[in-house]
Amino acid sequence: MQLKYKFILPLALLLSAVMLYPLAFSGWLAFHEYRLTRLDDVHFVGFENFVLIATDPSFLNAMGNTLIFVLGAVSLELVIGLSLALLLQKLNILRNFSRSILLAPMFVTPIAVGLMFRFLLNAELGVIPHYLSKIGITVDWFGPDLALFSLILIDVWQWTPFMLLMFLAGLEALPKTPYEAARVDGAGPWLTFSRITLPMLRSVIVVALIIRALDAFKVFEYVFAITRGGPGNSTETIMYYIYQTGFRFFRMGEAAAAAIMLITVILVLVVLLVKFSQAEEARK
Amino acid sequence: MNKSLSALRMTAYASVVAAVGQTAFAGEINVIMEEVPDYDIVAKLTEEFTAANPDITVNFDAMPFDAMRDKILTSSLAPSASYDVIIIDNPWTEEFANAGYLEPLDDYIAATEGYDYEDFVPSLAAISSVGGSIYGVPYYNYALGLIVRQDIFDEKGLEIPTTIQDYMSTVASLTTDDFYGAAMQPQKGYKVMEEWKNWLYANGGELFDENGNVIINNPAAVTALEQYIETFNAAAPPNSANWGFDEALRAVSSGKAATMLSYNWMLPALNAEGGMAGDLAGNFTLHEVPGGKAVLGLWSWGITANSENKDDAWKFVSWISSPEVAKRRVSMGGAPVRTSVLNDPEVWEQGFGEAYYKALAGILEDAAPLSTGGNAEELIEIVGTELSAAVNGQKGVQEALDDAARGVERANR
Repeated sequence: MQLKYKFILPLALLLSAVMLYPLAFSGWLAFHEYRLTRLDDVHFVGFENFVLIATDPSFLNAMGNTLIFVLGAVSLELVIGLSLALLLQKLNILRNFSRSILLAPMFVTPIAVGLMFRFLLNAELGVIPHYLSKIGITVDWFGPDLALFSLILIDVWQWTPFMLLMFLAGLEALPKTPYEAARVDGAGPWLTFSRITLPMLRSVIVVALIIRALDAFKVFEYVFAITRGGPGNSTETIMYYIYQTGFRFFRMGEAAAAAIMLITVILVLVVLLVKFSQAEEARK
Repeated sequence: MNKSLSALRMTAYASVVAAVGQTAFAGEINVIMEEVPDYDIVAKLTEEFTAANPDITVNFDAMPFDAMRDKILTSSLAPSASYDVIIIDNPWTEEFANAGYLEPLDDYIAATEGYDYEDFVPSLAAISSVGGSIYGVPYYNYALGLIVRQDIFDEKGLEIPTTIQDYMSTVASLTTDDFYGAAMQPQKGYKVMEEWKNWLYANGGELFDENGNVIINNPAAVTALEQYIETFNAAAPPNSANWGFDEALRAVSSGKAATMLSYNWMLPALNAEGGMAGDLAGNFTLHEVPGGKAVLGLWSWGITANSENKDDAWKFVSWISSPEVAKRRVSMGGAPVRTSVLNDPEVWEQGFGEAYYKALAGILEDAAPLSTGGNAEELIEIVGTELSAAVNGQKGVQEALDDAARGVERANR
């Protein structure tokens, strides 16, 4: 064996054990009837699991909820994160202090964030509904109309700092000369932002969007800690659906099929996003 | 996504590995328990068992409900059990028995002198009997009853309602701007199903007919759900469509609501001096649910089929559930499962008074579990999701029940 292959061998083995094998096994699971409580009756079923999942109204609903969640949360995080980054970039007093404070939510474990907001927004006990009611506003945060939106807001609270961090780093790495040139030419703040900052920041934005979107697709903790998918199934997300199918009902084959369908959806979206960004790049 | 999928698998493997690592040694039994007040009593009593049987060590692993099901599963899938004794929630009984996780106890019961198996309340004992074998012995019941603020009923000269119609008009008449007739629990899944099924029984409904056909969308079920929603809108606190057990209990204990359908053993907790209800303690009474037939919950003791210490495990289980220890467990505040204990004046005196045990005996006489069969856990979730959608107005009553029926058929295919 050539030396170069010997060098990558340990890592290749490690990755096969922790990535390749589980992935291949879930692929195998997806084509089998595999219930943890009926292991004596495991058999090949072809695409049956996929058909079952694709025709299950709960799965389609969970997929819809997840897409709304990802779209809502990530776009809000993008806008707020970018705005904060632009403001903070100019802020010179208490620079490190203000940045550490703003980044804090990111370091709390999501399940704790879920539990915290469950009580903060609880209609009976919560401090937020309490003060809102003092000014005459009653909001049922986890009612059927608002529950998914409330989960989006919680995600925004926790993960906007991540966007902020990415954009601050991106902004600080931008060259200064184009800005000086723009000032000489008399460009206002909006023109500078839309014609210089935004295009130069594009690759950072795309990377941040992809990372956040991939993460948001996995939303589980808030749902588990707060709504368990309710009221009705208005906050059931795809990860919660997979958890229920696999770990509460022990239908591992169907859970694996659902997971593979989710991977497919995510791959399509990521490829589209990257293509779009490359096309924009080429158009210039 | 790849990451989370592998995480799913790795968690399963890690649990199995951990389970194997915990296997009990000879003379040592591991017992999985739920962290509830009854567990504290069992743990206290067990000190006597280990004193009398110094060669047996009993290790309890007490945890929240949510963690139990997969722990039991991984222990049962491992070559040798990490838990020798498990407690089984009634919807799991058939599923675990069919999967071969549970040791049949018939021979053990027959060989144990003075055990008096017939003394267990029949509706409870029946739950653990699957395919002619006994897979568990009752540990504690959580049958539902109607808990009311007796002082308010007395003050207004109201009778305790015995039919759903009476209940609906009574709680509606008690509701004002800041006080509510009923603290309800329409939370998605288990809770709403557990509460609504009492209404279903009151209307003569069931999940399946005697031939096993799904009848959860028949006219009786539709009426039951319409009545349930009507009561919720007329007598439950606003914004409570997501309430579960905790929130409803808090509303009743803090004097905001007059009645709740809840676990019978909440009564002693509400009436405890210096307890959660504060000055209201002593004002609560327990009655049969309106309509008469109650939803029954049961935890039972089971022994795992892959345990290497079955004899010691049975020694412990038969001791803790024996007539003599069961009596002391209940006298210390545990939930009764034996007829002799329910009717024992000494228990009444040391426990929570004659009225409570008499009411409970009445409830247990006509009660049936929430769901049975090998997929009970899944059925509860499916029906409970549709019920919640109907309560929240996301679906019409008939539409939600039709969807529930389709979901149940699909799961049972």
